[in-house]
Amino acid sequence: MLAHTFFFYFFSGIAIFSALMVITSRNTVNSVFFLILDFISVGCLFIMVGAEFLGMILLIVYVGAVAVLFLFVVMMLNVAQQKQSWFIGKKSTHIPSGLIVAIIIFMELLVVIGGWKYKDNVSNSSSLVIDKDISNTHAIGSVMYTDYILYFQLSGIILLLSMIGAIILTYRRRENVKTQSYFKQISREKASSIELKEVDFNKGVKIDD
Amino acid sequence: MQNINLIFTELYLFSGICILLMLGVYVKNSFNKIYNLSILLLIGIIFVIYKNGLEKSGIFLDSFISDPLSNFVKILIAVSSIIILFTSKQFILDNKISKFEYPIIILLAILGMFFTISSNDIILFYLGLELQSLSLYVLASIDRDNLKSSESGIKYFVLSALSSGLLLYGCSLLYGFTGSTNFELIKNELTVENIGAIFAMVFILVGLSFKVSAVPFHMWTPDVYEGSPTSITNFFAVVPKVVGLAVIIRFMDVPFENILSDWQTIIIFISVASMILGAVAAIRQTNIKRLMAYSSIGHIGYILAGVATGTTYGYSSSLLYMTIYVIMNIGAFSCIYLMRKDGVYTEKISDLSGLSKKRPLLAVSFLIIFFSLAGIPPLGGFFAKFYVFLSVVESKMYILAIVGLMTTVISAFYYLKVVKIIYFDEAKTTFDELKNFPTNSTIFISCLILISFFLYPSVLNNVIFNLLG
Repeated sequence: MLAHTFFFYFFSGIAIFSALMVITSRNTVNSVFFLILDFISVGCLFIMVGAEFLGMILLIVYVGAVAVLFLFVVMMLNVAQQKQSWFIGKKSTHIPSGLIVAIIIFMELLVVIGGWKYKDNVSNSSSLVIDKDISNTHAIGSVMYTDYILYFQLSGIILLLSMIGAIILTYRRRENVKTQSYFKQISREKASSIELKEVDFNKGVKIDD
Repeated sequence: MQNINLIFTELYLFSGICILLMLGVYVKNSFNKIYNLSILLLIGIIFVIYKNGLEKSGIFLDSFISDPLSNFVKILIAVSSIIILFTSKQFILDNKISKFEYPIIILLAILGMFFTISSNDIILFYLGLELQSLSLYVLASIDRDNLKSSESGIKYFVLSALSSGLLLYGCSLLYGFTGSTNFELIKNELTVENIGAIFAMVFILVGLSFKVSAVPFHMWTPDVYEGSPTSITNFFAVVPKVVGLAVIIRFMDVPFENILSDWQTIIIFISVASMILGAVAAIRQTNIKRLMAYSSIGHIGYILAGVATGTTYGYSSSLLYMTIYVIMNIGAFSCIYLMRKDGVYTEKISDLSGLSKKRPLLAVSFLIIFFSLAGIPPLGGFFAKFYVFLSVVESKMYILAIVGLMTTVISAFYYLKVVKIIYFDEAKTTFDELKNFPTNSTIFISCLILISFFLYPSVLNNVIFNLLG
């Protein structure tokens, strides 16, 4: 239990710290890196409460795809260095409005969470049968590959189509491009590539004839 | 898993798509082979569906069903796609959009349509619809070096994504208020007046009427039809409409059956608005593809008039109208494929002037098809309208019938204007003499069907009027 508590505070601390760093760091690339760190820590928190599927999905989708995409965009747009900062130099004009929005959101959350009340019989009102012996991933997989196999496969076909569509609309076969041909390289033989010539003294040899 | 045979059509189609995709990647310059093999695959599908049987049964927790309606619509889609692929090959080769992915994406769109039609569950319905729409976005902008084609693709994508979002919002509301995604269970749940479910129904209807381009949501149609290559426009004008109609009928017939009066009002409004706009806005068009776009909006209005009755007879008459609409549109677009001068395909109506002197046969085909689109008596288009208005009058919706008849007269004006340009204007341009056997034979067959429909209407009627039994 002590280890559990320790790791909870460890990951939460990193999550909060990196979330703060995302919005305060001057370098946009650093912000994206801290965003990735934030996602990873939150994913670890999910795994700690037993939602391992959600945690892994967070890692794969957000870290693997979304954050890397952010990084590409940031690098391509060349906005690495922010002109205005929070504390040093010229003060940003966005900060007051941002603070106001943040405070309003905080108040709204207070109202929602403060007024939160569960139904009396919340624990047994669900009609879902939850098997405590198997993990989340196992449970999701066992319905996805049996009852919902048709939807799953059809989604796969849609992804296949989007791939074909993207290729057909953007791919251009360019002429006269010099590409490396491994087969040609490997199948070259000494006889076809080297020619031995007897060089006469003081006459040299004619190349390219 | 009781009976995997029910979904055999889709499995067959998808395995075919995968094999063709692999072939296309590894075989050089494979457009011709892939194209012909796709047509072959679709011909095979007709036999597979034909073996499906007539009883209604479902698999995958009843989310996928096979019943006479879905089988009929699937066959209609397969046949019309075969003919469209068959006739448009010359056009595709001439316009250099002959990538091997072209037929494969069409097949994927058809796969999505099959799932949409067979769905008995909101999730499957939405996934199928997305597969279909996503393919259509790519198809609209497939001529990517052409600015208009790219523009139409983007326009279609943005607007259609918005409508898909609304549709999905409606679906989630419906799930929230009824507690199920299955159509049958929703129907059992919706026995009493339920404001939330009506809200959801409005959103779902918005999404669906966007897909069939009914009036308040028709803005994309003329631009997309004009911008996309004609072969794609042909596909757009025919196949997704069939799916849209079938899905609307399915929604009205199963989950919303018990709240009939609520959705009837909406469909009546959409139908009247489509009929009026389709008739009035087409008058000033100079581009034949835009003309066909407005004409299709008008026809959707008539088709929805049959749905608005809420009776089995009304639904069947709508399906009959849709079948004849498919035949007419395939014929009309086959004629448009022949409008080529000096190697360039033209879309201006004024280029048709005096066609009767130089190409009398093509002029006669235009005459028959446009008269049929206008609904002039002995032709097929008249009987389509006849059955729809019969069902409307039987349900005592006289206003709908009156508006329909008036807009028929107005819309006859622009169809007849094209015929007048062909027969009475001075000849200016000469079209190339195209030796295009598939297109010519398709025009011949569709004209033949339209002319001779009144001799044996029972052939088609018996099939369609027994579907919803």
